[in-house]
Amino acid sequence: MYVALTESWNLLGGYAGYVSLGHIAFFATGAYTTAVCMSRYGISPFATFLLGGVFAGILAALVGFPVLRLRGAYFTISSLLLAVVMQLAFLNWEFVGSSTGLWYKPVPVSIVANRTIFYEAMLLLAIAVTLVARRVERSRFGMGLAAIREDEDVAKTMGINTPWLKMKAFILGAFLAGAVGGIYGYYMSYVHPDITFSMNASLLILLMAFFGGCGTWSGPLLGAVALSLVNQLIVTFIGAEISRIFYGLLLVVVIIFMPDGVLPYMRGLLAAKDA
Amino acid sequence: MLEGVRVSRKFGGLRALTDLDFAVEKGRIVGLIGPNGSGKTTLFNVITGLYPADSGRIIFKGREITGSKPYEIARLGIARTFQIVRPLMGLSVLDNVTAAVLYGRENIKSMAKGRERAEEHLKFLRLEEWRDAPAQHLPAADKKRLEVARALATHPDLLLLDEVFSGLNDKEIEESIRLVFRIRDELGVTVFLIEHVMKAIMGTCEKICVIQYGVKLAEGTPEEVSRNPAVIEAYLGKKKSC
Repeated sequence: MYVALTESWNLLGGYAGYVSLGHIAFFATGAYTTAVCMSRYGISPFATFLLGGVFAGILAALVGFPVLRLRGAYFTISSLLLAVVMQLAFLNWEFVGSSTGLWYKPVPVSIVANRTIFYEAMLLLAIAVTLVARRVERSRFGMGLAAIREDEDVAKTMGINTPWLKMKAFILGAFLAGAVGGIYGYYMSYVHPDITFSMNASLLILLMAFFGGCGTWSGPLLGAVALSLVNQLIVTFIGAEISRIFYGLLLVVVIIFMPDGVLPYMRGLLAAKDA
Repeated sequence: MLEGVRVSRKFGGLRALTDLDFAVEKGRIVGLIGPNGSGKTTLFNVITGLYPADSGRIIFKGREITGSKPYEIARLGIARTFQIVRPLMGLSVLDNVTAAVLYGRENIKSMAKGRERAEEHLKFLRLEEWRDAPAQHLPAADKKRLEVARALATHPDLLLLDEVFSGLNDKEIEESIRLVFRIRDELGVTVFLIEHVMKAIMGTCEKICVIQYGVKLAEGTPEEVSRNPAVIEAYLGKKKSC
């Protein structure tokens, strides 16, 4: 799941350099779409995850129009606000269950089967999102985003319609995150603003991308897999408290010694060996 | 080709440009000079749309471009370099130019084709040996050439060069002067350039426009301008004192 989320964040955050702390809002939009569709309308779950993506995309378009005009830290802060404000709104909105959350019947199969389906669907989605990211990176679109990241004014004078390009990346990233949230929704069969809009998840996405190396399709993949694995192993074998500390240490080490992320660092080492 | 009528731009209370008229004829090399802070770079920023003009009109190829977005102006055929070089530092030299080709006016959308065109531009500027190096590793003079390559890669009709000669040694200046002529003669691109290096200005420009405090002081051939008493006082006179 984090692979897909981190890759979808990376489209705008990594390629175009617009670091968002509100990506979880799109994920939550997807999860809530599934929840509302299933609990209130009984719509078949296999259609709702795309719908979740579409809603998240629409949300991105509405929010992106003003927010994408901001640069640097201002963009980051306002993206964070998006998640916070939405979380507050959902806590108080009856229709989506407000602060009690929304329970709904899980997909009518056994728990084990449900887990398997969830796992496989997530895996497929993660692969799909990674492939999309890889394609974007090697395309005209990706070149344009990279130009924006490096110098937005220069990008403009090169003939790049920067607002539109950023918007496209934002919407695409939101759509993918929404689809991830939509699938997550089936599996959980319960959504609550505190869980679904978890600030930790927003941060985690960012950390994973920075860990692996943002601006490449493979960086977030590595970061998400590695950090998830490390986290699981430590929680299982040592204990949850230690895991947090270790996690923090690992990130400090990476950021100090490999500021571009693990993957570009490794590449640099390899290149140095060849030379 | 490019014409400005009473162009003004203010920054707060500072009048950076006041009712400036200028014209760049097709196929010529035109220079823009003036003491530091006289508004030369501001004029370039206004022409390319990065800072919209407060009043006045700018006409390019018979079309009014005042108030157009920077990317629209770029697509109409005006490219520029920046005074403080701004290559896309993290990208390779080839990618810098490829991005410009892909979003430029040749309507090349495929990566492979874009790369091919970009390689030609690198050859034109003799940058091919740096092809895969990150732009930030280039020596200063090569960074300047990369700026020019990136600007040319958008396939412009008019190229605005902002102090591409400053900080170069004599040999590099000679080379750059030849480059400006090659851009005009081989590529057919009209050139409008800002310069402090007198040798370069006198060696390249057919017409020079002098501004001071955002107001036009003189205009004419290099000989006319260098004999103009107002120019000598404001510009060359000032140079002697420092």
